[in-house]
Amino acid sequence: MAGTISNCIGKSPLWLAGLLSLALLAGCGSGSGEATTSNVKPDNGDEVDRPGVAYDGPAPLTEDVQNFKLYLWDNLAFAERCGSCHVVGGNSPMFVRTDDINQAYQAAVPLVDLHTPQLSTMVSKVAGGHNCWLDSDTACADIITGYITEWASAAGSISNEVVLTAPEIKEVGGSKNFPADSGDYASTVYPLVSQFCSGCHAEGAPLMQQPYIGSADVQVSYEAARSRMRLDDPARSRLVERLAAESHNCWSNSCASDASAMADAIAAFADLVPVTEIDPALVTSKALQLGDGTVASANGRADNYIIARYEFKTGSGAIAYDTSGVNPAVDLTLYGDVDWMSSWGLRFNNGKAQASTQTSRKLFDQITSTGEYSIEAWVIPSNVSQEDARIVSYSGSTQVRNLALDQNLYNYTHYLRSSSTDGNGMPALATLDAEERAQASLQHVVVTFDPVNGRRIYVDGELTGGTDPVAAGNLNEWDSSFALVVGNEVSSDRVWNGAVRFLAVHNRALSAEAIASNFDAGVGETYYLLFSISDLINVTDAYVVFQVQQFDDYSYLFSEPFFTRLSDDPIPTVPLEGIRIGVNGREAIVGQVFAALETDINAAEYANGMQPLSRQGAVVALEQGSELDTFFITFDQLGEHSFARVEAEPPVPQPPADIADQPTLGLKSFASINASLAAMTGISHTNAAVQTTYAKVEQQLPTTSGLDTFVAAQQMGITQLAVAYCNALVNDTNERAAFFPGFNFGAAPAVAFNATGRSQVISPLLNALVAGDTGGALNTQANPATLRAELNGLIDTMGACGGSCSADRTATTVKATCAAALGSAVMLVH
Amino acid sequence: MSLCSPSNLRLSVIALGLSLLAATAAAGPREQALTIHSRIAGVPPSTAVLTQMSELISSGDTAQAVRIAMDNDGFYRATLKTWVTPWTNRDMTAFAPLNDYTATVMGLVRDEADFRELLTADVLYTGADDLGLPTYSSNDNTHYQALQDSDAELGSSLVRRTQSQLTGVPAEATAGVMTSRAAAKAFFVAGTNRAMLRFTLLNHLCRDLEQVHDVTRTPDRIRQDVSRSPGGDSRVFLNNCVGCHAGMDPLAQAFAYYDYEYNAESDPDAERGAIHYNAEGETDPASGDRTEAKYHINASTFAPGYITPNDNWLNYWREGPNAILAWDPTLAGSGSGAKSLGRELANSGAFASCQVEKVFTQVCLRKPGNAADRALLSNATSAFAASGYNLKQVFIDTADYCKGE
Repeated sequence: MAGTISNCIGKSPLWLAGLLSLALLAGCGSGSGEATTSNVKPDNGDEVDRPGVAYDGPAPLTEDVQNFKLYLWDNLAFAERCGSCHVVGGNSPMFVRTDDINQAYQAAVPLVDLHTPQLSTMVSKVAGGHNCWLDSDTACADIITGYITEWASAAGSISNEVVLTAPEIKEVGGSKNFPADSGDYASTVYPLVSQFCSGCHAEGAPLMQQPYIGSADVQVSYEAARSRMRLDDPARSRLVERLAAESHNCWSNSCASDASAMADAIAAFADLVPVTEIDPALVTSKALQLGDGTVASANGRADNYIIARYEFKTGSGAIAYDTSGVNPAVDLTLYGDVDWMSSWGLRFNNGKAQASTQTSRKLFDQITSTGEYSIEAWVIPSNVSQEDARIVSYSGSTQVRNLALDQNLYNYTHYLRSSSTDGNGMPALATLDAEERAQASLQHVVVTFDPVNGRRIYVDGELTGGTDPVAAGNLNEWDSSFALVVGNEVSSDRVWNGAVRFLAVHNRALSAEAIASNFDAGVGETYYLLFSISDLINVTDAYVVFQVQQFDDYSYLFSEPFFTRLSDDPIPTVPLEGIRIGVNGREAIVGQVFAALETDINAAEYANGMQPLSRQGAVVALEQGSELDTFFITFDQLGEHSFARVEAEPPVPQPPADIADQPTLGLKSFASINASLAAMTGISHTNAAVQTTYAKVEQQLPTTSGLDTFVAAQQMGITQLAVAYCNALVNDTNERAAFFPGFNFGAAPAVAFNATGRSQVISPLLNALVAGDTGGALNTQANPATLRAELNGLIDTMGACGGSCSADRTATTVKATCAAALGSAVMLVH
Repeated sequence: MSLCSPSNLRLSVIALGLSLLAATAAAGPREQALTIHSRIAGVPPSTAVLTQMSELISSGDTAQAVRIAMDNDGFYRATLKTWVTPWTNRDMTAFAPLNDYTATVMGLVRDEADFRELLTADVLYTGADDLGLPTYSSNDNTHYQALQDSDAELGSSLVRRTQSQLTGVPAEATAGVMTSRAAAKAFFVAGTNRAMLRFTLLNHLCRDLEQVHDVTRTPDRIRQDVSRSPGGDSRVFLNNCVGCHAGMDPLAQAFAYYDYEYNAESDPDAERGAIHYNAEGETDPASGDRTEAKYHINASTFAPGYITPNDNWLNYWREGPNAILAWDPTLAGSGSGAKSLGRELANSGAFASCQVEKVFTQVCLRKPGNAADRALLSNATSAFAASGYNLKQVFIDTADYCKGE
């Protein structure tokens, strides 16, 4: 159904609890539930560089008019904001007229939505490019949203209800998707951007201006340009609009001509991209884009004490705006390798975002006046291997600071200069090693200080276990000349790699409840996408609704689906199985969390305007960008409609490649060597001397059979073990008599090692090795004659002591012969 | 310098080695008997055994010859001990003491039991009572260390016991070696219990997670502790992480009630810990149900992730590329607890072929490297199944194949 239907389904507390965890914080936006005073100060003209507007007209007739003046009028009435036009004698609406605040209020009321401030006409007008006083329309819009929010909070009218609006019905059509290969791009669009944009937008350009659409590498250029081209409507591509509407560095005398050339090039590229047609057999919902969704209110955050806020929505340029509305704005200037994230944020690769010392003084003034603060950030550390890496610092160098939030491996660290610490904020408070709080994923990190509780660190809404090593102290030692810096130290030598998606400075220590609320509120914009299923279940205005947000630069998060219908039609009981998310005409291949869903839509579970289907979330790849991607959902079964999904048979694996020239022999393992020596000598492995040696050499012995892994150290170990066994054998008169029958150990070498004696020693050893002649020599074993010759040679060498042989030389020679034989490769290789 | 010094001996040893390596010749029954005995038992045979085996080979009864080699205690103390020990620890080192996992594998082989009991049965092997060893304790490895250090023949001194009576884990929660003390100490300690699945796949289906990687499975069971955007880049999750976790997490859910508990302060190496199981009626204080707290750690990493409520496991890998693991079509592909998961794994074709492949590498001292080797694996796998999963049959078939010609 076309048109707009409003159905306020958010009035029930149960609905609020079920749908929006943030909704518990009604009205004032404070998480603590206590009465609060706003920080948004009306500009009273004290600021040197921004004189306020004096009002001397009639007094406000009501308290709401007074709030309007305090929170909105005082902040917008400057000539450089709205005061040069929207005043008497200027353009309507005259909401900043200076002659009568009550008439200004009447003019302003139609422009603001005190239930959902971000939906105010005044906000959307400025966001759409209407005379923003900054370079970023979104920054102005956010600042005005902040003013209206504060007004609404003071009036107690702010709403956390979500009013779902029926979207325009769009069929799921075929669409074009960017090909992975950049070949067609290279022949159409790339010649233009490489010629005319490479002077700035390239890695090698002096300015190194992102995005690198002019890169010498066509693939890099393509990746950067993809989100800036519209295959469905080339003329509305960002690359074209930048030239046509913003006259951004046109290369000829005519921006219109350049824009036309760019549009033609993109059109030529788009013509080469085939349309992805939707499978007609699929059971699909209607289609939606992110912008068709209902914005989920982010109210419920405890923002009353914010003195600086960065939401990083600008998306380009060299300034990250402080949109707190508290003057002066502590805008951050980007230096070095810092990228904007399309999901709102800054990614620090090796750069920083730093404010001037002049504007940073606001932090000094506001924080020392309360003696408390909180630094709140949504961060994504790139890794957990970086040390002493500054995420946020308010400092003068690596040696002097007022405060800092650091990452140190798995820990977050909180530095604060106070009466209890030194000028560098040491000793610091760190999260506990064992807790490993810092992870390389999106985390909500808050550090707080107040004179009672001292420093604290909260991660993902939880107070961490670190104990402050010093007493709380006070902030009397703070220095007003420092600068706020993000992603590094002011001296640029404490690099932090990661992304910051939100940063706020509060001049109060937020309560644990407030921090938990801010964590629950999340980061980024969330939309309710209402996928129409009316024609599938024959219910007017029936939808499966997902909460959808851009999760990071590469994906969307689809979460907490529920069924709702905006009409009064009765709800039938129909089976619902297997929801899959489709993007641009095809189901996403990866990430289909709801594919296994198996439930019914039914009236019994429908309460407070909805039937929850799952509490889970699915991460689905972003394709063309959040402004271009079109979504739909499919069902394996919905009511009478079903899709028979057939899993393809897996391909039969190919046999692995042959391995040529593998040896057919190998080494024995350490345990087999030990067991072999025990078996051959008859000496138990439990023999004390043997055990001692084995314990010493065990890990020196071979563990794998590969002949090419054999090293000298292993032979040394084998030898030592063989000597231990042979020593035990020869030292035991019974054992040796049994092993070497007939051999005369008491005789001198010259006598003992006659031909008979030698045979009495060598033959048992060769038999033990299964390398003797008994039964005939084995073809695969060492040649017995060669072995005998080697061992006889050893005996000759050992016996060459003439008349000066020691009494034990014969036994020693047998031990040596034994060890040489049994510890040899004849034993080792099998 | 002593003449019996290592350097002198080394010269002799090298010379002897060269003389051996120069020898290449055809293998007759005696040569084959030596090879079989050395590869199976790890030690040289006595002359009498060599003769006995060669005669059996000559008569065509190679199987009996291999059985003789397997009767040598070296088969247990050297060959099986070295073969099995790496499966029982995360470092996959063979330099670890005998333990209940190793002993149980040895016992199942010796008793020619259905080797699928390895992952399913209420069984543990211990040393016999008459050996005078310290009694089995679920809190330490003293019993097995003493057995290893003793003179006892491992092959004859192992006794089959009822695991549940030794460890206190209920009979229905036993799953062969997966619930042994050694496996618990290695794979249930700390962490998230995914290690038990990973190492069981690695050791008994011969596949590490890279080999079962499949990003197309439904990722609804991936727990909250897995970041969907590591370092802020969800491509890493969508291209890599999900490929393992989508299949692994629903399988590892089978271990949701298990833990290895130890005193981290007095026993940092976890040497004196014991397996713990939340039996029916027991509640984990952190989760409020039987699920161990470790299944819910780091829940804020991705809050909309899966919250494990029980030990119901599900095998998504039955479909898609991992269907080639040849899952048993008579089983449901889902269940509750480790025992039924063990049945799912042990009845897969991959389990049987993995055992054969491991034995082949152990006995032939090389990887299967050509069509003939692969045919042997296929035939031996069939014979393994036909024998009622008697692993000795696999040793017989591979030893016969690699005995030389």
